[in-house]
Amino acid sequence: MNENDIVISVKNLVVAFGDFHAVDGVSFDVRRGEIFGFLGANGAGKTTTIRTICGILNPSEGSVTVDGKDVSSSTAVLKPRIGYMSQKFTLYPDLSVRENMYFAGSLYGMSPKQIDERARKLMDFIGLPQRIPDPVSHLSGGVKQMVALASSLLHDPELVFLDEPTAGTSPQTRVAFWALIRRLAEMGKTVFVTTHYMDEAEYCGRIALMERGKIVALGTPQKLKEQFFPVKPLEIAFHAPVQNALREALKQAGIESAVFGNHLRVRVSDRAAFERACAPFAGQFSVKEVEPTLEDVFLQAVSGREAK
Amino acid sequence: MNFSWRRARSVALKEYKHILRDPFTLAVTLILPLVFVGMFGFVIDLDYKHMRVYVRDNDQTSVSRRFLQEMASSGYFDLTPVHSPAEADQALEKNGSPALLIIKRGFGRNVRSGNPETPGQIQLLADGTDNVQASIMGTYLQGVIQKANAVFARDNPELSGGAERAPNGGDQIRSRFLFNPELNSRWFIVPALSTIIIGFLAIVLTALTVAKEWENGSMELLLSTPVRPAEIVLGKLVPYFLLTFFDVLVVFVLAVYVFRIPFLGSFLFYMAACWVYITGALALGLVISVVTRQQQAAIQFAFAVGLLPSFIFSGFIFPIENMPAFFQYFTALFPQRWFLLISRTVFLSDAAPMTLATAFGAIGLFAAAMILLAVHKFKTDVEP
Repeated sequence: MNENDIVISVKNLVVAFGDFHAVDGVSFDVRRGEIFGFLGANGAGKTTTIRTICGILNPSEGSVTVDGKDVSSSTAVLKPRIGYMSQKFTLYPDLSVRENMYFAGSLYGMSPKQIDERARKLMDFIGLPQRIPDPVSHLSGGVKQMVALASSLLHDPELVFLDEPTAGTSPQTRVAFWALIRRLAEMGKTVFVTTHYMDEAEYCGRIALMERGKIVALGTPQKLKEQFFPVKPLEIAFHAPVQNALREALKQAGIESAVFGNHLRVRVSDRAAFERACAPFAGQFSVKEVEPTLEDVFLQAVSGREAK
Repeated sequence: MNFSWRRARSVALKEYKHILRDPFTLAVTLILPLVFVGMFGFVIDLDYKHMRVYVRDNDQTSVSRRFLQEMASSGYFDLTPVHSPAEADQALEKNGSPALLIIKRGFGRNVRSGNPETPGQIQLLADGTDNVQASIMGTYLQGVIQKANAVFARDNPELSGGAERAPNGGDQIRSRFLFNPELNSRWFIVPALSTIIIGFLAIVLTALTVAKEWENGSMELLLSTPVRPAEIVLGKLVPYFLLTFFDVLVVFVLAVYVFRIPFLGSFLFYMAACWVYITGALALGLVISVVTRQQQAAIQFAFAVGLLPSFIFSGFIFPIENMPAFFQYFTALFPQRWFLLISRTVFLSDAAPMTLATAFGAIGLFAAAMILLAVHKFKTDVEP
């Protein structure tokens, strides 16, 4: 990897509010043009990290640099290059979409003509009608999110930070969002996105799993799956009602299993022990290898941490 | 990155739209001063007129009748004659009968004699539970007596030996009130009230604006853009300045054309002082908003900081000259005190603006300090 490819570099970042460490010693790099996903439960420290990189929160310890420049000391240069969509709904509810766009764009020094042109393109792309005369407060949640996204992209930033952009939106909206995010990456923008939908994380180039202020796993989705699941998980389907008995037998053999609907999912490191435990139930079930999901990875990463 | 007028203008335009879309705030801003000034101006009239007085005239001479006529025509008293001591007692016991005036037998004779040793005697029994009215009654009665003396002396020069000599022989105090010759309290109150109500309104209006942005999350967006605190502060001041200045004009028109309060000073100077004063008040509101970051706390602060000193330390209720020395200096911290001085002076006297240089300087200093404080205290990160 070329050093020049690194846009954002976070080193030993700690953000403390009083005694509480929202972010507790986090380090990672983000490369130019990648979709970097930040995953974790609510309160894991995702938003705090994103705010610190955007320069609206100061690190307590450690450093955040963008293109080698320290964020907290060079906000003036960096802010025009950053597009930030906050998790909170941050448009002005009493202004119309156009008025909100005008305001946001003008703060970046755009002329009304530039704003109009750019807004038309973005609205087109997102699939929103060109003119929405109503105040933003009359719009539905999904449309509001779309407008907020468009407004954060108005000044054509190189670095796009999206904090839970799809939270609370419909499946269609989520698909549209991700299409747009991929499109942004294709155009060479660096997209930093947080989510707690594990399926969305599959769209990311690389992901970082965050848990209680720390990064517990980092890599491409494929790498993470291989790292946490050297052996693919097994899925057991039953032909007879022996699910509980088999679970019990596996437990005796020291093998944990998870119930997924009417399947059982097992992570097996010792195949022989597994075969032995299953032997009494031969013919009453069938086994196949499955691809681990990121959800599996996340659970594995978190439980591994807790075990330590 | 330097201060950008364009960004400040964007903030101002946005703020202007907020104002237009918020009918409640707009209504409060435009109607509240009218209601307050109207209420104080029309209803609360500290001038006592037509005070009811029962009169028992034991003298029943042309002199006593002439005196009562003088009293009634003053407009301050409504006289009701009583004809016996019993009736007089009864009248006094009745609710709402503030006073009884008794003219002693021999009043007319004594007045005619012109002997300083034996003046004409009048007794006023006033209800002391309303001490203000009682003392005002005494003062006004004094005035009536003086006038009656003068009239009597003019009509009967042969008895009193000329108008200069007062028939009752007592020394006379002659007061003359400059600038507000009738001591019309409305003249005194309305200019002062406009100071207070407009100043207070200005503080409340801006106290909400920054706090609102923190509460609805838009501040987070704002901070992630290149906009600077000074631009936000200026952008928020301008639209509210125009709104508040409109109030100033409304109240001015009300004072001068409805309440007929004379405006003798320099109009331009008064307007300049208004501009500076409302700028200071608006900036103070911004300071409150920037520091509290919550609308509820901001509004409480605004009431405490805006309303209390306006009434207590401005000289509106308690004259500053009567305060202990410490508080006299303390009041100097409040722009309301200085602007009150300016507005009373320019309304009722034609004093040269130079005489108000200190007051003008004080409100100017306050406005500058508040603007700087608002910019300085403006948080540029979202740390809770």
